[in-house]
Amino acid sequence: MSVQDLGDSARKAKRHHFDRHAPDYRDHFEEITEELHQKCPVAWTGTYGGHWVASGHQEVFEIARRADVLSNDNDVSGERRGYVGISIPAAQGQRYRGGFLEMDPPEQRHYRQALNPYMSPAAVARWTPVVDELVRASLDEKIETGSIDFVDELANIVPAVLTLAMMGLPLADWPVYCEPAHAGVYTPPDSPDMPRVREQSIEMSMRLYQAILEIREHPRPGLIDALIHATINGETPSDAEITGVLGLLIGGGFDTTTALTAHSLEYLSEHPGERERLSRERDTLLDSATEEFLRFYTPAPGDGRTISADCELAGTSFKEGERLWVSWAMANRDPKVFPEPNTIDLARTGNRHTSFGLGIHRCIGSNMARMTFKRMLLAVLDRMPGYVCDPAGAVHYPTIGVIQGMQHLPATFTPGPRLGPSLDETLEVLQRACDEQRLAEPVTRRHQDAEIGRPAE
Amino acid sequence: MKVHVDPEKCQGHTLCAMRAPDLFELSEIDGHSSAVADEIPVGREADASEAARSCPEQAISLS
Repeated sequence: MSVQDLGDSARKAKRHHFDRHAPDYRDHFEEITEELHQKCPVAWTGTYGGHWVASGHQEVFEIARRADVLSNDNDVSGERRGYVGISIPAAQGQRYRGGFLEMDPPEQRHYRQALNPYMSPAAVARWTPVVDELVRASLDEKIETGSIDFVDELANIVPAVLTLAMMGLPLADWPVYCEPAHAGVYTPPDSPDMPRVREQSIEMSMRLYQAILEIREHPRPGLIDALIHATINGETPSDAEITGVLGLLIGGGFDTTTALTAHSLEYLSEHPGERERLSRERDTLLDSATEEFLRFYTPAPGDGRTISADCELAGTSFKEGERLWVSWAMANRDPKVFPEPNTIDLARTGNRHTSFGLGIHRCIGSNMARMTFKRMLLAVLDRMPGYVCDPAGAVHYPTIGVIQGMQHLPATFTPGPRLGPSLDETLEVLQRACDEQRLAEPVTRRHQDAEIGRPAE
Repeated sequence: MKVHVDPEKCQGHTLCAMRAPDLFELSEIDGHSSAVADEIPVGREADASEAARSCPEQAISLS
């Protein structure tokens, strides 16, 4: 045995079997988390080619903000150091990077700067009337029947339509992007469905690629326009790169917000006293409740990194090239930071959760996520206050390695009155508002809230 | 009580402004935070402390 081998064994002495794509992971998540926290908040595991797992909050905090020794790079064309991006296991056969989440500074920073004025709190607030109309129409489609699937008929729709609006894409196309966005995430890597799902993903990418060419020809305001005109490392990005960024915005934005909303609605159905309290005390509780649902359900449970330089961090010696899984979900259950971590406390204070990540890659859509979640939640509390979810019909993702999500959440409720036009008609009204008011302009160019009038009755 | 938001550490999580919009203002461009004033007004200390405790990046210091 060489000195190198001995050194390696000593460095990786804190070993633990850890497979977060395993079907039973979700059922054992809390036990696994406690065990890792107690024994090895930074552990080495042999799964997926071997990688580190950081699960303690303090350790995740120390590590995640070190962009100087951690790389997100996905070197798809083998031009740099051959790093493989943020998925563990690495995604097979990717032809381009997953947007700026799979880039390092300085180019990562240039993308963020180009898109920030579309995603800031001020930018997002302008869209509230649009979101409220989408929510109103989605609930109207089912309000007279007394039954709804909160995933298919609400939480899948609103984030998808809003994202397309912000991109400058036709709102009516939302179903084209929705199914691949979700299936791409809940299908386990080794599932027999994976080839078909990959096909659908590729088709969606081609649609996006065509949309980029379209918007080059016939300019429309929005995120795609911003990317077309961005200066990244002194150049304009290629259509392939832009497609990768749009894939990130869709992948990052659809499923995660849906997951948060579905889990929260399910919880509130199971705890009607808490639901009633949240509704009654929404002025003081809504913000803290939102952060608590984010903490507990951590829709995007973690990200992979590659160590870019030998370093000592969080009590561990890392070597360049090694892979690391940063677990936001496990850090969020650290009792040192969150007393009674496995209990939902809607009034929790000091809730410095890591659900939107930490450091330079903090989720750029966080303001959008919070706004759409709150508007959906409030509308459900107001229009279906006593809804009851059906546990037999609820479908959680079989594996939660990529997104901790839900496929279906059927519920029944006391029927109520419709308040406005159908979803299809609403999409037409909103499309006109987007086009006429140029709603997708950045906040630096357009400050006002969207104005959504209803057609005369 | 004095307050300072470290612009190098702030990443725009916005939890501070959620708790105390009168104490922290957010950039309209990227949502990053800065203290409205160096000195926390009398009676606002509890919310200032809570905002500091809530920052995921631990970017807010009080003295």
